[in-house]
Parts: sequence; structure tokens; C-alpha cells
Amino acid sequence: MSRSNSFSRNILALLRLLILAIACLAVLVPLAYLVINSIKLPREFLTVPPTILPTEVTFQHYEELIDDSKTIRYFRNSLTVALWTTAITILSGTLAAYGLARMRLAARFLALITFLFLFIRFYPRVTTVIPFFLVMRELDLLDTVWAIIIGQLGITIPFVTWLMLVVFQDLPAEIEEAAIVDGASIWQRFWRVVLPIVMPSVSAAAILTAFLSWNEFLIASSVARRKASVLSIAVASFVSDKGIQWGPMAAMSVVMIVPMIIFALFAQKYLIRGITFGAVKG
Amino acid sequence: MTWHSRHDLPWLLAFVLPAFVIVVAVQFYPLAYSAVLSVQEWSLTESQAPLGFVGLDNFREELGDSTFQRSVRNSIVITGGAVILEMFLGVFLAYLTMGSSWRMRAVRTLLILPMVIAPVAAGTLWRILLNSRAGLVNHLLSAIGVQGPEWLASPDWALVSVIMLDTWQWTPFVLLVAGAAIASIPTDLLEVAAIDGASRWRTFLHVELPLLMPLLLLTLVFRMLESLLSLDSIYSLTFGGPGFSTYTMTFYIYTQGLRNFNFGAAAASSWIFMAFASLSIWLAFRFQRRDW
Repeated sequence: MSRSNSFSRNILALLRLLILAIACLAVLVPLAYLVINSIKLPREFLTVPPTILPTEVTFQHYEELIDDSKTIRYFRNSLTVALWTTAITILSGTLAAYGLARMRLAARFLALITFLFLFIRFYPRVTTVIPFFLVMRELDLLDTVWAIIIGQLGITIPFVTWLMLVVFQDLPAEIEEAAIVDGASIWQRFWRVVLPIVMPSVSAAAILTAFLSWNEFLIASSVARRKASVLSIAVASFVSDKGIQWGPMAAMSVVMIVPMIIFALFAQKYLIRGITFGAVKG
Repeated sequence: MTWHSRHDLPWLLAFVLPAFVIVVAVQFYPLAYSAVLSVQEWSLTESQAPLGFVGLDNFREELGDSTFQRSVRNSIVITGGAVILEMFLGVFLAYLTMGSSWRMRAVRTLLILPMVIAPVAAGTLWRILLNSRAGLVNHLLSAIGVQGPEWLASPDWALVSVIMLDTWQWTPFVLLVAGAAIASIPTDLLEVAAIDGASRWRTFLHVELPLLMPLLLLTLVFRMLESLLSLDSIYSLTFGGPGFSTYTMTFYIYTQGLRNFNFGAAAASSWIFMAFASLSIWLAFRFQRRDW
């Protein structure tokens, strides 16, 4: 009896390992295949059967990308957009969340605000892309990184405000009371007392914002196609342009993906916190 | 008396102001603008300025348009298929990866990688994998004696491809959220069930699932909305093709507006889409405000 029990237990444990191994391979193999394709010789791309492992390693696709001044510009633009978007979002979003949390709003009003945050996060953004394009044209900002940054702020600020609002609401009032007795102004309370405590959450919000911004495509592709173009547009452009250049496409995708994977591995704790937070809390 | 003084209020308002101004300028103003556009005749190829009020003509034309109808159908098939797969796989994998050993933590780290990849790049990645002649997927299939389909060249398989991509990229999200929820279930509840002699499966069905349900429903609505709204991955995987066979609502509106510059039509169809999305958002709102 107990023997057959431990036997079936072993089978289950083995099955679990097997399924997890398959799941891990399903993640790793596509990524590895992309990297392999970026170092394959052009003549080995469309051979049948496919060359899984290239006979010869070449870095020509990367060299071509680096030689092309456009790639450097895309990379720089992506970085500029991500940095500015994150900085402005964290500053204004955290402040706004603190303001909302301390206003002691009526429950009804808070519910309305929660609904608005949800709405802004999930309504079909294509709806506003065209008017936004027209506004940017009016302001003569088309094809500038600022058009992308301003557009992304509309998404990231409500998102971060929402995340931080929950954090500030959960903070016990006693933390600030001592500072109030000492006669600290609200700004000093925010800056010296509250902010250091919620710093881990701020970091999580910042990291998530940087990710959203770096990977964003819709807004960037609608307001900036040439000078201010970013990596996401560059990656997508390989598809619609004359035929598909497999090597450069794979190399450009690697250039876009790798920084985020490294970033994710280092900032994993914060990233997971940020992603699950919006769903689990709120 | 509140624990902060009255004269804090101007400060608090000032704190909220910058964010408020940006959100109104970047979200609500364009939203209102788009409502105005939806009842105007305006195609940029014909004129630099709107050609006047046409009432509900744009809406009538869009609803009767065969590409629009096809996009609605495709959106339902893709989102429905992908989200159902993601929910089942995600919860399943969340259970399998439970535990705090370094091995399980490493597995979890690995499994969530697809989520951090830019959707455009995930699209190009799968375009390479699914190439019918030289792609890895068909090569692996032929190794086990299966003749793989023309993934991206056949209308039906192209839809399947989009579902596969969405599932590959977003199952990790369900895994993460479900994993966090499972970990927060009090262990004594499970112990009581085990002592009562309930099997693992019955414990899951009668104790855990009811506890997880509200959060799973919320996750489902979140995933549904995000999948409906996604543009990037379809853009780089199929570009709506072959023909119009993987046009989704979002992709259709995008091409109407920013490729054909048919602003009136794009605005009208996006408001039809909006009506449906708003309903789902309201559902998410209800789920989220329930206590658990």
C-alpha cells in the first residue's frame, strides 16, 4: 500500500519535472534560435532543411547595424524616451498619488478615480492616437522624441499614480504624526518621512515604467517615423519593407531584447512586485 | 479633526495638478476630439481639413464593412483562444512552480522572460520560428513525422500563429499573478482539508479555487482587454495578413487611421470598439472592488 503510494508519488514528481523542462525549453529555444539567426550567414537562412546550428558564425549583421548611423540613433532615441518618461512619470505620479491619498476623499469619489485609472489603462488606445497625431502636428512636434514622451506619459502617469495611491493608503498615519507634532510642513513630511519608506515601491514603479516605455510601439509609430524613430519601430519596419531581411531583423530584435532581459534579471524582484501589484492589490 | 491641518489642502492640490494636467491633455482631450472626428467626413488623402458633419454615416458604413466585420470575428477568435489557453496553462504552471527552493525560483525567473520582451520583437521572433520552409517549428514537426502547415501563409493557420504568440508571451503574466495568489492562501486551510482526507484535486476544487476565483476573473478580464488592444505583435508577425485574415479590431483601426488616413472612419470604428471595451472595463472594476 504505502509502497505503491510512494511509487505513484515518484511518477508524479517525475511528470512535474518533465512538464517544467518542456516549459523552460519552450521559453529558451525560441530565444536561442533568434540569437543563432542573428549570427548566421545570409545563404544559410532559407535552406531546406534549415540550418539549426550555423556552420560558420558571422557578426556581419551586427556590423551592418552599427555601421548604419540610424541604428545608433534609434538606440539613443529609445534610451532618451525611456529615461525622460520614467523620470517625469515617477516625479508627477508619486506626488499626485500622495496628494490623492492624503486628501481624505469620500469613498464614492475614490471609486470614481479608481474607475478612471482602469479606464485609461484599458480603453482602446487607437482611439486617441489619431487625435494625438493631429495635436502634435498642430504643435509642430511631429517626429520628435518629445511627441513620444508626452504620449507615453498619458499612459504611465495614471498607471504609476494608481500603484502608488494604494501604497500610500496602506501606510499607517502614525508614521507622519510625529513629524506633524514637530511642525514639519507637508512637503517635508513627504520628502523626509514618507518617501524613504515607500522607496522600494517607487523603484518597482520606475522599473515597470522604463519597461513599458522601451517596449512601446503604438504611440511611437504614430508620431515619429523618421528622425525620432525608436527601436520598436525599427524592429517592426523589417516586415513591411521590401522582402524580409532575416539577418538584420534578427540582429535588431536581439539589440532590443537583450538589454531588457539583463535588466529584468537584475531587477526581477521589483519587476514582479510591480506587475503583480496592479492586479492583486488595487 | 483630521490629523493633517486645513492649510495642507492647497499643497495637496498642487501635488496632484501636474499629473492631472498631463492626463487631461494627453488622454481626455484627444478622446473628446476623436468623438468629434467620428461624426465628420475626413480623409487626409482628400483634404487637409474635415469635410463637414455627416451624422452617423461613418458608423453605418463601418458596421457594414466586410473587413470591419472580419476584424471583429478575428479579434474574438484570437483573444478567446489565447486567453483561455493562458488561464489554464498559467494556473497549472503556477502550481507546478510553487515552492521557494532556488531551483523553483530559477524556473520561475526563466518562465517569465517572454513577458519582458518587446511585443514587436516577439512578433519577429515567431516570424522566424514559423517560416514554413526554414523555420524551427516545422523542422521539429518533421522530425516527429508531421508535415507542418504553411503557418503564416494560410488564413486559418495564421490565426493559430497569432494565438500561439500571445499565449507564449502572456501565460507568464497569469503564472505570476496566480502564483502570488496561491502563495497567499493560508496553509492551515489546506492542512485541515488534508486531515479531513480530501484528495489534492478535491482540495483544489473546493477550497482553493473558490478563494482564487475573484482574482482569476480579474486576471481574465485584464488579459482579455490587453489581448484585444495589442497591435505590436500582429504588426510584426503577420501585418494582418495573409490578405485580411489576421486583421483584428485594433489593427483595422490603426490601418484605417494611420495608413489610409481615413480619420472619420477610424474614429467611428474605434468608438464602436470602445463601447465593448468599456463594458469589460466596468466588469474589471466590479471584480476588483470585491473583497477577498
